[in-house]
Amino acid sequence: MKRLALLLPLIALPCLAQNTQQWVLDSSTLTYHVTHAVHEAEGTTHSALGKGVCTAGQCDFLVAAQVKSFDSGDSNRDLHMLQIVRGAQFPIVSVRLRLPQSALGQPTLDADMDVTFAGQTAHYSHIALQQVVQNNEHRISGTLPTTLTDFKIDPPSFLAMPLHNEMPVRFELYWHPAN
Amino acid sequence: MNTKSSHDLIRPILAATLILLLLPHPAFAQQLAELNLPDAPQPQQSTAAPPPASAPAAPPAAPAQSLSLSDLGFSSAQQQSDAARQALLDKRSHMLKIHQRLGLLTTIPMAATLLSSAAAPCEHNCNGNSAGMDFHAALGTVTVGMYAATAYFAIRAPEVPGDKPRGAIRIHRYLAPVHMTGMVLTPILGAMAFNQQNNGQKVTGIASAHGAVATTTFVAYAASIVAVSWPIHYKFWEKSN
Repeated sequence: MKRLALLLPLIALPCLAQNTQQWVLDSSTLTYHVTHAVHEAEGTTHSALGKGVCTAGQCDFLVAAQVKSFDSGDSNRDLHMLQIVRGAQFPIVSVRLRLPQSALGQPTLDADMDVTFAGQTAHYSHIALQQVVQNNEHRISGTLPTTLTDFKIDPPSFLAMPLHNEMPVRFELYWHPAN
Repeated sequence: MNTKSSHDLIRPILAATLILLLLPHPAFAQQLAELNLPDAPQPQQSTAAPPPASAPAAPPAAPAQSLSLSDLGFSSAQQQSDAARQALLDKRSHMLKIHQRLGLLTTIPMAATLLSSAAAPCEHNCNGNSAGMDFHAALGTVTVGMYAATAYFAIRAPEVPGDKPRGAIRIHRYLAPVHMTGMVLTPILGAMAFNQQNNGQKVTGIASAHGAVATTTFVAYAASIVAVSWPIHYKFWEKSN
């Protein structure tokens, strides 16, 4: 009885520790797409950082990147983008999403996301994400239907025609569970 | 006696074990506090104040259970708001917008000057009817003036520290010395040609290059505009449907 009582805490501690699972973002590709009447452009970053924590059946993820890390292949356009989105004032774009832990093995996920960008936070509900699990790696991809007005960004114009309001962001995130 | 004392010993251990099971372990609680789990997403748009320049590395205002940018590995410098840099970017963009508009408008008198050159040469001398030449010279003067204003806004636009030109802007910059030289030479050569004609001479020497220099200048200028506008995706086939 005495031994059992002494062993019980040792058994209980690992059980408690197993309730939390952490996820680490290995690599990522985030690409915004903007359209003008006579022009289209894309900017990509591969330097996003991310982390996930699952507790009590819920998983919370945070992915963030420096706004200036988006590269469209034209430094002039990138600097102009940085000015338009107030990238020096609000240097980080971040995405928070919450998923039920039970869904982490599913090929399709339905997520609610909060995007903080240019000093504004916009909420996106029921974003469809695709997931491919290979070995220990989870590849999650999808498209965020962001718009310029979501973040109160004045659309820049070229030849007196403003940029289209739609600014979808495609993403590919490669996660692995941390041990 | 022994049995009673051992029971007395076991009870508190069992109680402590139950507390351990019901309450998070201190190490676990510390781990949770470090991870800062987020709140549920806010179903609305909200405005964030810019992070102050002197903000500490970890934003203490964030809820205790929220993953923070510091947790991801962003340094305080990376999270800091830089009002001076934003002001620099604002000024740069403002000046380059004016540069862009003036540059596009300059193509109008520039093209008109080229077209009017057909009526500019005098047959023998320019002491007679010089309307064609005057018109050509006037358009050329307007072009040079607008070009100078366009160039001013590009040259005076502040450079952003650490910026290395990439992409089409490099071609735009490489072409600038070409059309800038042309814009200086063209009116000088035009005046030399005019003087030679006015003296009843045939246009010879370097003055005879006036037309070629002007055309080269126009081509370089147009190319520099196209360079920063490329690739243009004008889907005319969709318009016709």
